Amino acid sequence: MGLFDMLARWLGVKKKEANVLVVGLDNSGKTTILNQLKPDDTKAHDIVPTVGFNVEKFATKSLSFTAFDMSGQGRYRNLWEHYYRECHGVIFVVDSSDKLRMVVAKDELDQLLQHPDVKNRRIPILFFANKMDMREAVSSVKCSSLMELELIRDKPWHICASNAMTGEGLHEGVEWLTDQIKDLVDKKK
Amino acid sequence: MMLKRDKKEEEDGGNPFNNLEKSSVLQEARIFNETPINPRRCGHILTKILYLINQGETIGATEATEAFFAMTKLFQSKDTTLRRLVYLGIKEMSKIANDVIIVTSSLMKDMTGKEDQFRGPSIRALCSITDHMMLQSIERYMKQAIVDKVSAVSSAALVSSLHLSHVSQEVTKRWVNEAQEAVNSDNMMVQYHALGLLYHIRKKDKLAVNKLVSKFSKHSLRSPYAYCLLIRIASKLIEEEDAGSESPMFDFIENCLRHKNEMVIYEAAHAIVNMKNTTAKDLAPAVSVLQLFCGSPKPTLRFAAVRTLNKVAMKHPAAVTACNLDLESLITDVNRSIATLAITTLLKTGNESSVDRLMKQISSFMSEISDEFKIVVVHAIRSLCAKFPRKHNVLMTFLSSMLRDEGGFDYKRAIVDCIITVIEENPEAKEAGLAHLCEFIEDCEHTVLATRILHLLGREGPRTPSPSKYIRFIYNRVILENAAVRAAAVSAIAKFGAHCDELLPSCVVLLERCQLDTDDEVRDRATFYVSILKQQQKSLNSAYILNGLQVSVVGLERAVHNYTLEPSETPFDLKSVPLATQTMTEQKTVTSRDTGDMGMTKTVDKPVASRVDVYAEQLSAVPELANLGPLFRSSQPVELTESETEYVVQCIKHTFSHYLVFQFDCTNTLNDQLLENVSVHMDGSDGFEVMKYINCSNLPYDKPGTTYTLVRLPEEPTSVTGTFTCTLKFIVKDCDPNTGEPDDEGYEDEYVLEDVEVNVADHVQKVIKANFGASWEEVGPENELEDTYALSSMSTLEEAVKNIIQYLGMQPCERSDKVPEGKSSHTLYLAGVFRGGHDALVRAKLALTDDSGVTMQLTVRSTDPNVSEVLATAIA
Ligand SMILES: Nc1nc2c(ncn2[C@@H]2O[C@H](COP(=O)(O)OP(=O)(O)OP(=O)(O)O)[C@@H](O)[C@H]2O)c(=O)[nH]1
Ligand SMILES: [Mg+2]
Repeated sequence: MGLFDMLARWLGVKKKEANVLVVGLDNSGKTTILNQLKPDDTKAHDIVPTVGFNVEKFATKSLSFTAFDMSGQGRYRNLWEHYYRECHGVIFVVDSSDKLRMVVAKDELDQLLQHPDVKNRRIPILFFANKMDMREAVSSVKCSSLMELELIRDKPWHICASNAMTGEGLHEGVEWLTDQIKDLVDKKK
Repeated sequence: MMLKRDKKEEEDGGNPFNNLEKSSVLQEARIFNETPINPRRCGHILTKILYLINQGETIGATEATEAFFAMTKLFQSKDTTLRRLVYLGIKEMSKIANDVIIVTSSLMKDMTGKEDQFRGPSIRALCSITDHMMLQSIERYMKQAIVDKVSAVSSAALVSSLHLSHVSQEVTKRWVNEAQEAVNSDNMMVQYHALGLLYHIRKKDKLAVNKLVSKFSKHSLRSPYAYCLLIRIASKLIEEEDAGSESPMFDFIENCLRHKNEMVIYEAAHAIVNMKNTTAKDLAPAVSVLQLFCGSPKPTLRFAAVRTLNKVAMKHPAAVTACNLDLESLITDVNRSIATLAITTLLKTGNESSVDRLMKQISSFMSEISDEFKIVVVHAIRSLCAKFPRKHNVLMTFLSSMLRDEGGFDYKRAIVDCIITVIEENPEAKEAGLAHLCEFIEDCEHTVLATRILHLLGREGPRTPSPSKYIRFIYNRVILENAAVRAAAVSAIAKFGAHCDELLPSCVVLLERCQLDTDDEVRDRATFYVSILKQQQKSLNSAYILNGLQVSVVGLERAVHNYTLEPSETPFDLKSVPLATQTMTEQKTVTSRDTGDMGMTKTVDKPVASRVDVYAEQLSAVPELANLGPLFRSSQPVELTESETEYVVQCIKHTFSHYLVFQFDCTNTLNDQLLENVSVHMDGSDGFEVMKYINCSNLPYDKPGTTYTLVRLPEEPTSVTGTFTCTLKFIVKDCDPNTGEPDDEGYEDEYVLEDVEVNVADHVQKVIKANFGASWEEVGPENELEDTYALSSMSTLEEAVKNIIQYLGMQPCERSDKVPEGKSSHTLYLAGVFRGGHDALVRAKLALTDDSGVTMQLTVRSTDPNVSEVLATAIA
């Protein structure tokens, strides 16, 4: 805990907390992204495919996040919905080098958007067009048209190209998400 | 203030969870979903859920799954207490909720994480949700955890591995190196658990277990727990090998008597006194250890010692007598449990003159001890009665006063059991015993006991000198009791009427009154008995009242059901119903609680109430065997191979009216072979014709499989016995021992098995005739055969009795299998039913001859002349 945090806690100013759900197909890089966002001393060395889910914590300047890192394997995708209701935001990770499965990702996204726990809420969705470093990777614009993101009208969304290995693009995305969620929380008050 | 609180707690039972309601608790569990998490509240609710599950509350899959997923959200909390409760919750719900696998990664993260407090519990939780498919993916982590330097983690991983071996023995076997390393740990628990796992992995391989014990017995373990386990393993080996003190294992155990830890010393002494083949000399050091413990200031040691001595008192009276003085001083021990055990031990080993004194001593605190120890006293009295028949008066009086005391069902049942055994073993005690029981049922709240006693009165009462005096007690039940007891009373009265001519008229009057009862069953029984009694025919009385119907209830149900499925002109044949398996009441379940944990628990075969019914079901599922008619009898399994051979085969003989089915249960113990098209070819005996082989299509390593051989019985009704040579035939495919992947090509091979014998006993079912005399008259002399034989190879009556029973496979009646001590002649009564449903009775009069042989006059009666002939010539 940094000095500022300690001071802040002592003064009773605690950071606001937010829950986000991290979904996307298997092997898209969800766990790697979260690992990149975590403070250095809690980073994991080797990352293996997630079975079920994991809870990770990370913080931006004004929010502390609790992220549910879900498994993207087919067998577990239908379990995501158990975690929809409580989340303040969604991070949807797409492997931008995996054009072949882009339709599968879109299909999962559609199901998520149609789910009763998501449908009528204005929750922000952040897309990472991940693995931008790969040769076959498509641009974030191309990715968003393949995913038909422009059809999402009732929710704020944003897409960033990212490289989870280096962290490139991640902070831009997370800053956007922070602003969205803070807006939402402030409005509620 | 303090006092007040205590009082309040007492009022509401002191248990804050007492009146929990399942649905409202599950409702509350929804707050697990809320953020931020309130650890204290969530922890409290989770505790309630755990409490409910542990109280046996059943939660449906949907509800459980909802609660489970809500609980998974608690992983975001860092609160240690709450998180540890979550691990417990996962373990408890892993078998009732769906998709529990969702927490796999979270648990894997915790088991490898920094927080030691989470690591052990998360391993345990992980293992409870891991199935065969997932096991591979956690293997690496488990191996690491086993050798972790934190002992709690290592222990958790070791014990979990043991549990996981039920999921896949193959995978856990691969962790043997890690377990090997953990055995060297300095931590007592880790060493113990590691040894437990090692043993479990090698359990099936006797040679490896032997090596294990001899290695660790030298290498001096640190952990006393590990020592105790090693002692248990060693004594199990000794038992399995039927060895005694000459075994090197015994030396090890004996050495442990000089260990510095009391627990180890006790374990060794306990093991030695419980061994089968021991001499007085072997026992002496163990007994002196126990003797020393009797004088220990620690109550636990005194208790352990006296409890052990109590248990072995009957088997080794001399050894225990050596401790008499020490036991005497424990009579007044402030711990009543110790005192009770001491007194009952002394009762078992003492002489006749001390009985009165000890009984008096024990009466002085009977009211202070718990039912459990009262039962110990009852058992001691039971063995005393057997030892000192002349003391039955004192002991019976004591028992009857115990019957009058307060006490729970188990205690009362123990007393009733005891009185019944005494009555059966000692004819002189019969009348007094029956009188006590009559008195007891006048005020007995346990239906089970009342009906049992009424049944006993019906069986024994009519044959006492003055049967009439029991009628009043029995009829009182008809007036005062619930329907089940009334029905039992009606049956008992009928027996008096059937057996005693002079009581017949009054019994009929009483039964006629019962025909007005409000309960169907009672009325039906009364009507049935009245109409039979009015016929006044001895044979009817015997068949329908005194000895009754003896079919298996399950079998009857199935037979009647089948009959109604295919209606036919022929009336239902009661002879086609399988008979009740005799063993239902004979067998007692042995629970081996004290053999302990860590996979050491002996598997004791529980009695299957109706073995034949189970087999009938299995056989009828095989299309080729479905139409053989009703299954008459199934033999006990016979081993056809030595143990530890390549293939292990055992045979069960199933007898039908015209066929025999040989069931061969085979196990392939070679992990580099897959067998296909397995069958057992049989050759031999005249008249028996092999009709069909039903192959076992494949027999992989260590997965038992079954093949059948169908044989038609000879036409000639008196030729029933034979010997068959048996050969196991199959196709072998070599395979990779690790993956089990077989080669494409196989080759034929065979393996010679031991011969199978078909004996007279395979055609006979045991049947109890409670009143043998009545049945003897019922069958009558029409097909009687009689002959006299000299049984020169038998030297005692007991031996002759045992052999005849075994050979004919019939049921001894009237306790005639017990030869009274010191008699030179004895009569054995046997009853059975021969294949085809023919009643068969045998009376064997035995006498010792001067040249120490036995002569036998054998009389056989049967409803079928051929059966008489088979049985009469069976022994010759
Ligand atoms: N080149 C490249 N590789 C990446 C990037 N992000 C992730 N990877 C790799 O992709 C593989 C999968 O990453 P994970 O983080 O395990 O993927 P996941 O989405 O969590 O997968 P599941 O847990 O199975 O749903 C790993 O080998 C990562 O090293 C990236 O931006 N660039
Ligand atoms: Mg992952």
